[in-house]
Amino acid sequence: MDMLLNGRLSRRSLLRAGTAAAAMVAMPAVLRAQTKELVVGGAAGHKPWVEQVVIPAFEKKYNCKVIFEGTRSLVNLEKMQKNKGSQYMSVVQMDDPVMILAVQEGLLDPLTPAKAPNLADLVPGSTHMDGMWANYLQPWLGVAYGKSTMKAPPASWAEMFDAKYKGRIIIPSLQNTEGLPALFVAGLLAGGSMEAVQKDTDAGFKKLAALKPNLLTIYTQQPQAYNLLEQGEAYMIGPAMSSYALERKAAGAPIDLAAPKEGVFAMPSGIAVIKGAPQAELAFAYVNEMLGADFQSKLAGPTFSLATNKAVPKPEGLGADVKIHQIDWANVAKQRNDWIKRWDREMAI
Amino acid sequence: MSKAGRFDPVLLLAVPAVLYLALVYGIPLLVLLGRSMLAGGAPSLAPFIGFFSDGFSWIVIGNTIRIAVLVTLLCLVIGYPTALALARAKGLAQALILVAIILPLSVGVVVKAFAWQIVLRRDGVVSQIMTGIGLWDEPQRLLFTEAGLVIGAANVFVPFMILPIYSVLKLIDPRLGEAAATLGASPVYRFFKVALPLSLPGIVTGIAFVFSMAASMYVIPNLLIGDRFQTLATMTGRSFLFMRNEQLGSTTAVVLLVLTVAVVVASAALSKRLGGAS
Repeated sequence: MDMLLNGRLSRRSLLRAGTAAAAMVAMPAVLRAQTKELVVGGAAGHKPWVEQVVIPAFEKKYNCKVIFEGTRSLVNLEKMQKNKGSQYMSVVQMDDPVMILAVQEGLLDPLTPAKAPNLADLVPGSTHMDGMWANYLQPWLGVAYGKSTMKAPPASWAEMFDAKYKGRIIIPSLQNTEGLPALFVAGLLAGGSMEAVQKDTDAGFKKLAALKPNLLTIYTQQPQAYNLLEQGEAYMIGPAMSSYALERKAAGAPIDLAAPKEGVFAMPSGIAVIKGAPQAELAFAYVNEMLGADFQSKLAGPTFSLATNKAVPKPEGLGADVKIHQIDWANVAKQRNDWIKRWDREMAI
Repeated sequence: MSKAGRFDPVLLLAVPAVLYLALVYGIPLLVLLGRSMLAGGAPSLAPFIGFFSDGFSWIVIGNTIRIAVLVTLLCLVIGYPTALALARAKGLAQALILVAIILPLSVGVVVKAFAWQIVLRRDGVVSQIMTGIGLWDEPQRLLFTEAGLVIGAANVFVPFMILPIYSVLKLIDPRLGEAAATLGASPVYRFFKVALPLSLPGIVTGIAFVFSMAASMYVIPNLLIGDRFQTLATMTGRSFLFMRNEQLGSTTAVVLLVLTVAVVVASAALSKRLGGAS
């Protein structure tokens, strides 16, 4: 201190003063860390059910504090990239296409049956890229329709192509994750197998061109599309996400969601542990609980989604014999930009 | 020359604005320009060559220019008479017209676009009127068509056409028209030979405003026409936000910038010439 007073500042004294100041600032964080704290990143839309269902149950069981940061998948990815080496988030809940990017950047810590025993009880196709992440819930994609404009629920995806619905059909843009199956559906209708139509989308594109007269629009903003459906300007939206369409139905909108005979598609909701996560043990416990039958049975209802744990039955409204197609997201990641290019050219007005 | 060479200290008043723009606009713009000329880390014109050799890019450029021109024309046709009325009006009438023009500016673009969505629907007001007066045989939809986009966008941008024209018209000495009248000029002749030439600088400014805004609009086409109609602005937004293709995004952004800057600079030059001529 006398050095400071004398006005002769050496590098060492400055360093010492700086360290002391840093220690004072850091002190509360050290104290806080004594009660274990887990930061989970996820989608803003997840906030209600995470905070009402997941967090209370988890905090009680593991005697810790969980903080949920709800934003967009790509923002979560950026947070992980920026903090590489000194992560503050431990667990991340993101869409599968973004998970692939996180794997490519080496940001995830793989799940193993030893660390998350519930992995063994998942339906096939729920873990990806050697266990880098797992799907805990899967909203499903069917055809949403207006109950006052359609006499009967659409039984097949082919109904969207029926000439009597000229200008009444809405599909999602290929830039939206839920829009990709539109291409695969078209391929299936053209006679391909699920595996083949994902690898080679040529037949799908050709079939989709036949849908153009029926298109009211191709949406990028989901709420806008449902507005048009609820007001009767549009008759059908397909593929439509259960987590959105059924929530609107539950809120009283005159719409419903049909599961066509060719099958529905599983939308990915992935969960993973971040590499170098603080409280790694707790992080794996969180993921394990999210994959367990107990949590999933509580969440499948309010999120209008399929559970991935075998012990949880299919939700109401989806027959037991409905085929559920899984999407090969690694293949999507590889080809998506080329598909969007072709889509722009061939689906333009 | 000696007059122009002397430094006017009043110019210093522009320093805060210049610094602000340099920081939040100039530097990012340079980064964008730099990025658009990099391919795989090395300086290259390849992104531009690739962009311009793709036929689809020209469709997108064509869409952008066509919509911007149509919106500008519609704004001019609606805006000029309004500006004339506004310049002539006095007292309460003038206040009412001004409020009617300026108040809608406080309503967000998204709200307006959603409102147009209701108006342009098959069972919307436009369709009902057109079938009611017998111009259309059956209800038609303007939503998600180019015509709908032009109508909706013109609604948002029309104040930016009216206000510059109005501010020029207001400055025209009313005695000029009266003088022409005493010399026997008809109202139509007076308009084309006196008022219109004198108001040209305002028209040029309005065109520059509306054209550059219409060429770069992003939210309005997103809501009124959707994914099936790409413009340079929607393509730029999508490249950055969804496809993570910053290369293509910066290329389209620079093309759009050059396009609008060219129009603004040309109209500024034109405005100067016309202003000088009067």
